[in-house]
Amino acid sequence: MAPSDASRRRVLDALSHREPDRIPVDFGGTSVTGIHVSVAAGLREHFGLERRPVKIHEPMQMLGMVDEDLATALGVDVTGMPRRKAHFGFTFENWKEWEFNGLEVLVPGNFRTTTDENGDVLLYPQGDTSAAPSGRMPKGGYFFDAIIRQNHFDPEHLDPADNLEEFQPLPEEDIAAIAQPVRAAQATGRAVAASFGGTGFGDIAAVPAVGLKDPRGIRDVTEWYVSLRSRRPYIHAIFEKQCETALGNLKRIHAAVGNGVDVVYLCGTDFGTQTSAFCSVATFRELWFPYYKALCDWIHANTSWKCFKHSCGSVERFFEAFIEAGFDIINPVQCSAAGMEPRALKAKYGERLVFWGGGVDTQQTLPFGTAAQVRGGGPAALRDLRARRGLRF
Amino acid sequence: MPELQKLYDAVLNGDQKTAVAVTQEALAAGVSPMELITNYMVPAMDKVGSLFECEEYFVPELLLSARAMKGSLELLRPLLAASGAEPAGRVVIGTVKGDLHDIGKNLVASMLEGAGFEVTDLGADVPAEKFIAAIEEKKANVVALSALLTVTMPAMRTTIEALKQAGVREKVKVMVGGAPVTQQFAEEIGADGYSDNASAAVGLARKLVA
Repeated sequence: MAPSDASRRRVLDALSHREPDRIPVDFGGTSVTGIHVSVAAGLREHFGLERRPVKIHEPMQMLGMVDEDLATALGVDVTGMPRRKAHFGFTFENWKEWEFNGLEVLVPGNFRTTTDENGDVLLYPQGDTSAAPSGRMPKGGYFFDAIIRQNHFDPEHLDPADNLEEFQPLPEEDIAAIAQPVRAAQATGRAVAASFGGTGFGDIAAVPAVGLKDPRGIRDVTEWYVSLRSRRPYIHAIFEKQCETALGNLKRIHAAVGNGVDVVYLCGTDFGTQTSAFCSVATFRELWFPYYKALCDWIHANTSWKCFKHSCGSVERFFEAFIEAGFDIINPVQCSAAGMEPRALKAKYGERLVFWGGGVDTQQTLPFGTAAQVRGGGPAALRDLRARRGLRF
Repeated sequence: MPELQKLYDAVLNGDQKTAVAVTQEALAAGVSPMELITNYMVPAMDKVGSLFECEEYFVPELLLSARAMKGSLELLRPLLAASGAEPAGRVVIGTVKGDLHDIGKNLVASMLEGAGFEVTDLGADVPAEKFIAAIEEKKANVVALSALLTVTMPAMRTTIEALKQAGVREKVKVMVGGAPVTQQFAEEIGADGYSDNASAAVGLARKLVA
């Protein structure tokens, strides 16, 4: 049975800091709240759903599609909006079977791989096996990591355009292709979460540009981190142009889908480590804040979309700036990191920020705990974060 | 004679060009490599570590200082080898099998080098047999294992088991680290030490070889 729009109301209540009838549930609404394809397949089996290969909707993390029947079985309240293209630059079409560690899954036709001498699986940008591979899954691994392809660059003559190749105005066909999935997502009665791409500033997962055949500019992760300190004018020039392009895209997307989207996932740049941060709050305010604020301001002025920010780790120190920039939602609320005690977070920010996550400890309890510990670990943190706000994944 | 305090400042400020230039001038003026390391570079990296611990420095600053320090060390290393000077310890470091993440590991390696350790960096996705071969070849007294993923943490345990099987476990101290790794996990798998950041890893290594 498909859910009524009680699901969407539930999510909107939580997003508006009103008391929902229960904590809304998200499995698979965004690329940062997704579930691995092997888990999706296992859940289908657990619920006795039709046996069929699960589609991979995000090849980097090997995330499996939560289809309607599984979403209903799980009581999911959020539905994602499938993207037209993967990070690896190929389109989600012409699905074919692929064997992943003994499990039959479905991948796009241009998901083309080879296996190297160590048994590692290599994945190619835009499905072009004549280009250098851009993703590697170690033998027996669960997902792909970016292969760093750093071309030589002259530090004295860096051109920001080189780091902007992947941030371009969306082609008309991409804009046109967004409207139908939004309508389909709305028809589920669930809240609609979308990611339109191009709004992640310096997301370290995206810096290597796995979708480009021959990326230029700064693509090495260490070089990028160094540049955040030593080449700030260059980083500003990239972010400024990226922001301008993203605003143009958002305006065109909004013209096509209106307020059919409830939540827009904007950026996954991680600012936290386990015990500290990747930069100071002052650096955040100088380097990221103006661009986040420009996007969130436009969204709030012109749409009913809520702005979703992801950052792992110890990030409480950034919350005031996140709120000031206009983010409505923070994910994943890594309660195991330093300074992320759920009760304190709720007391300090609960009226101003929606906690989308904060469930079970994914570093200790989920992978190493017993079933009882997993059952107990999530709800304990959720109780602390709840009280009229808080979404679980 | 160059102003050697500039070497300290260059490492502290992550200025590789100046660090290399001052090192070249100092060597040309007859300053001994050990003096440069002991009196300027190690103190500078110690200061970098303490600034990191008190959150004045973050990952980018750490990387820049490490880069400056390495620029100088590249000039000094051949001279040190020729002089037969003993390092603070010999460390073999790598990210365990199945894990391709190396930034944290690289930071620890750099901080250890900056503290006067001889560091053999095996890279990422390192099988146990490679650690074993490097321990034997480099006569290491510390092995540092890194893992970023919960799914690769078990490879730390199997690596330590392999060290035992190969009969080299007693020759080395094993230290572990990485985002999901904890003190409790380190104890469970029989590691000798755990550190939750690159700066503290230096203190741990010093303690382990003392």
